[in-house]
Formats: sequence, structure tokens, C-alpha cells
Amino acid sequence: MATDSETKEALDGLKEAILRYDAEAARKAAQIIVDRGINPVLALKEAFGETANVLHERFDSGECYLPHLVMAGDAMTAASEILESAVARDSVAAKKIVVIGTVEADLHSVGKNIVAMMLRSGGFEVHDLGVDVKSSMFISRAKETNADIIALSSLLTTTRPYQREVIEELESLGLRERFKVMVGGGPITPEWAKQIGADGYGADAMEGLEVAKRLTGLSS
Amino acid sequence: MISLLDIAERTQKGRKVAEDTWNMSLFRKISELALRYEIPQYTDNTPFLNLDDTLPEKALQAGIDLLVEHGVYCITTGRVIEFTRQEVLTTIRESPPEIIIGNGKDARIMKQRRVEGTEPLNFCPGHHAPFTVDLAPLIVKNFARIPRTDFIEGFNFTEVDGHEILGAPLEAYAARRQLSWMREGVRNAGRPGLSIVFYPITTRAAVLMAAMDPVDGLRKGDGILTSVLPDEKIEHDLLATAIACEDYGLWRISGSFSMMGGFCGGVDGAIIEGIAKPLTAVLCYRAYVNYTGVENVRTVSALAIPLQPLNWARSVVNQALNRYTNVICMAWVIPTSGPGTETNLLEVSLRTIEATINGANLYAPRHSRAQMNAGQTPLEGELMVEVSDATLAAGIDRERGSEILTKLAEQLKARHPEPGFSIQECYDLVNHHPLPNYEKIYGEVKEKLSSLGLAFA
Repeated sequence: MATDSETKEALDGLKEAILRYDAEAARKAAQIIVDRGINPVLALKEAFGETANVLHERFDSGECYLPHLVMAGDAMTAASEILESAVARDSVAAKKIVVIGTVEADLHSVGKNIVAMMLRSGGFEVHDLGVDVKSSMFISRAKETNADIIALSSLLTTTRPYQREVIEELESLGLRERFKVMVGGGPITPEWAKQIGADGYGADAMEGLEVAKRLTGLSS
Repeated sequence: MISLLDIAERTQKGRKVAEDTWNMSLFRKISELALRYEIPQYTDNTPFLNLDDTLPEKALQAGIDLLVEHGVYCITTGRVIEFTRQEVLTTIRESPPEIIIGNGKDARIMKQRRVEGTEPLNFCPGHHAPFTVDLAPLIVKNFARIPRTDFIEGFNFTEVDGHEILGAPLEAYAARRQLSWMREGVRNAGRPGLSIVFYPITTRAAVLMAAMDPVDGLRKGDGILTSVLPDEKIEHDLLATAIACEDYGLWRISGSFSMMGGFCGGVDGAIIEGIAKPLTAVLCYRAYVNYTGVENVRTVSALAIPLQPLNWARSVVNQALNRYTNVICMAWVIPTSGPGTETNLLEVSLRTIEATINGANLYAPRHSRAQMNAGQTPLEGELMVEVSDATLAAGIDRERGSEILTKLAEQLKARHPEPGFSIQECYDLVNHHPLPNYEKIYGEVKEKLSSLGLAFA
């Protein structure tokens, strides 16, 4: 059984590895946690929660960039593979799943990429379908992955109706209650989100993350 | 110069790479190039406009190396388009530094300017913003009536002939209607041959090409927006359009600014991508006119007005392109505040002074989060022309320009973006005149700029 100081040292090691964007170091730090008999669920919750906040602050202040969020996400994945293998599957809360993309006929990717990375570093499992994604593709991937949220980006006034189309298709397929739908993008407003019956709207990536947490019950 | 058909072939035969892999390898290559060419990081002492005459050439070499050593990615096929150094250098050498646009007495020459050049700037007043169709021809007429307008870009809308625009057939029809309203607007302004640039309703090839029509639509001398995508990516619909346009006689413009904080990384990487991207537009779409520079990935949703290091980075990019290539640079002025506000006009002024000194031309000032009928008025464009003329008349060089921009930035630093007003709330479209309150703000902004050293006529 690890002492308090050993536990703190091990958890700090994992946090540092993630914040250095170092997947190999994160894997090793996770193994130390397991070897010392520290509760892996506690490690997942504490280390990941704190590092996600630091990463989001860094991105917001321009101290780190999109690739760093990708690398931090990779480090978190590497560590969680070790930690999750050390505990009974049912004792680890399943990750919430988001299917995200830019709607049909729209090639804008930057905002969508940032939201995807924020969600990933915030602990979500993210399936990024890219740009110019047909409504039916969002739905089929959401079904395949058993997603909690479908996140739709649109940067053109003329493509935002595809956000509504996804919701309408979900309704016609009897799937509307199964998935939460959140929307965002340059021409998107809270009024538009309400008008089309979306469950959430994010003005920027940070707000998007908060909305996703709220929609999945991770925050109130 | 490499042909567009060769580009098309390479998108089918190049190395296959997953997009995620491309993104991260781009970051690593750009980071390596920033070290190789010692592209400096921004410090608090860095001036608003680059004064280091060795830096633009180093940055250009880094941009060329990026194209030669990493290539361009086609998102349609997931393949890498590779270039030899000779192909890139030939493209830089052979692309034209000026093109003729428009027709008849309304034809204009779009040309590359020099850093600290004294020649008047080419100018596009708008749109690149959404408007309701009831305003369409009147809006176009107002923008076309600005005497210095060299070309005018289309706009977006949500309904056409009582139908919501949704799906390729309606998008294609809307494309044709956009052009017919544009044509009507420029005719009503007494400038029937003014070059019109099609603003894509959507980027499907069928929609982009539906606008071609020598009578009511796009004709020779007109243009089309075919932008290179972020992170050095292109795609097939835009490439198909570029090939068709080359044959038909339409010029292309590309939104070729880089996004600091994206996969290019920090400001050093954004400078390198900011140079490589317009060269990519010339190579892959034969787009000789580019709106160039560096933005922040968070500009669109900015909670604060983004200033440095973007201003400095933009100046490095534009100085490199104007000194060592033939790219015709335009500055996209995207204020984070809406029209009708002093903050908007100050942001527009800051970006215009910067563009004038760096050798860029002036492109479509538009609120970064433009909402329906609230993205812009003709007044911001008119201010751009006046400010650029006043900058030239005062003979402001980079050093003095940096001092002026520093003072101007001081006034903006503590402000937060304001939503602004709809065009009807601050501009009289019938009489082509700002409403009194906006006109008053306009006058006050010019007074502030005069006190900083600009020489208005």
C-alpha cells in the first residue's frame, strides 16, 4: 500500500507527463501507480481532471496549440489503457462519446478541430468525421459508436440548415431521444440552436466543452 | 509552371496518408523549419511591423522548404501532392505580379505592391457576408458605387424565390441568382463591367460552376473564391472548379492566411504556413490574388481583440511575399466588432495602416462573426480607402508605422468586441450615406487618426 507521499508523487508524475505531452512517460507513470497499488479510478479522476483544466487554460492563453492538445490526448489515452486494465471494467465510468464533424457542403475545419481536441482532453471519446459530412453519416456513426452526443459545426449561413436536417432525420428515425445534439460555428446563434431543437450551443470551444459535460451529466 | 492537370493527377497517385497523421507531421516539419531558419519568437519588444530585413527571406525559404519537403494534402483522396524545388521556384518566378480584371471601361489592373510602396491600393469593399435577398441589388449597388472599388465579391443568403437553400439543386440555383443580383447591382451603379467575384454558396463543384454564364453570371474577367484549406490542404471540388475557371477565363482568389494556434503551432510556424499557403494557391488553383497574413484560431470567437503578435507576423509574411514572389497580396480586414461602432472603425484602421505599409491591398472588411445584414456597411470600406491614402500621403514608413500602430493598439487593448448594428440601423442604403450617429463616429475616428500622424485630404 502506498503512503500518502508516494501516492502524491505518483499522481504528480502522471500529471507532469501529460502536461509534457509525453505518451511514453504517461504510460510509465500509470504503471507506477498500478505497481504501488494506488486506486486507478482515483488516478483517472484526479490526474485527468486537473490536467484538462491546465491544458484548456494554456490553450486559451496561447501557451499551447492544437497539436499539443492532440499529444496530451495521446498521453491520456496511453495512461488510461494501463489504469483501466488494472481495475474491474464496471468500476470505471465509461467514457462519454461524441461524434463530431462539419456539416455537408462545408469545408471549414478549424473551429471543429479545436472543439474536438478540447472534448478529448476533457475526457470524452471523440470520433471526428471531418468536414463535408452528410447527415446520414453523422447518424450512422453515432449509432455504431453508441455516442452520447452528435456535435455539428457549420461556418456558412447556407450550410447551417444541415444541422436542422440531422435533428429532423433523428426524429424521423425515432432516434432523437437517444442522442444529444449540440451545434456551433460562425453563423450559429443560441436562437438558431433553439429554433432547430438542438440540445446545446457553444459560442467557442470552452463553452462547447461545458455544454457537452452538462448534456452528459458530468456537470450540472 | 506545373499544370493544374498534373496537380489533379498527383491527387490520385500521391502517397496515401491519414489526415490525423498529416496534421501532426505538418506540425513537426514546421517546427523543424522554424529552428532551421531561426524564425524568432515574438517578444514584448517586437515592433508592430517587421524591421528586420533578413527575416522575410529566411521565412520565405522556410515556406519553400515546407512545400518541397512536406507537400500539400488532398482531403478528397487522402493523398499527398509532392513538388520538386524547381517546380516551386518556377511557380514563384512565373506567376504574374498583375492581372487585368473586369471588362470595358470598368476593367482594372490588380497588382502586387511593394513594401512601403507609394502606389494606391487595390480595393474590394465587400461582401463575403450574409444579407437578406430583399436588400440584394441595393446592397451591391452601394458597394459598387464606391469609386475606388476594383472588384466586388458576392454574398450569402438563406432563401431563394421562397425556398430555403438546402441541397445541391437549390444551392446551384442560388449561385445563379447571386450572380444575377450582383450583375443587376453593378449595372445600377453605372459600372456594368466591374469584376464580380463569386462567393461560394457552398463549395460543391456543381454549385461553383453553376454560376458561369456569360450573360447574367460569371464571365471572362470575373473571379471566384477558391481557398486553400488550413494546414496545407486542398480538395477536389475546388480543384475541379479551378481547372474549369482556367479554361473559361475566370481569375481566382484564395483565402490564404494561416491560423496561429492550429497545426502550424505558434507564431513562428504561422509565419511559415502564411508564406507557403499562397504559394500553394498559385501551384494548385492558379490563384494569383491571395488574402494573406496570420490570424489566431480564436479570432472568430474572440472575447478580446486580437493584436500582437499577429500584426508583426502578418508584416513578416507580406514583406516576404511582396519582396521575393509575385503573389498579389490583399489584407482581409476582419474586425471583431460589428459595424456602427467606433471599435470596428479603429480595428479597420489599424489593419489598413498595417496593410498599406506591408505592401498588401485591401479586401472586404467584415465582422468576424457576421450575422444576417449585420456584417458590414459601405462606410468601413470607404474608411479603408481614406486611411490607406492618408498613410501614403503622410509618407509613413515601417518604423513610424509601428509607433502609430502601438498607440492605436493601446486604445483597443482594453476593449471587448461589440456586436454592432444591422446595416439598416446605421446606413441609408437609398442615399448611399451613413446615418448621422455613425457618420459622427466616423469623423471622430478620422480625427484620432489625424492626431496620430495620418494626412487625410
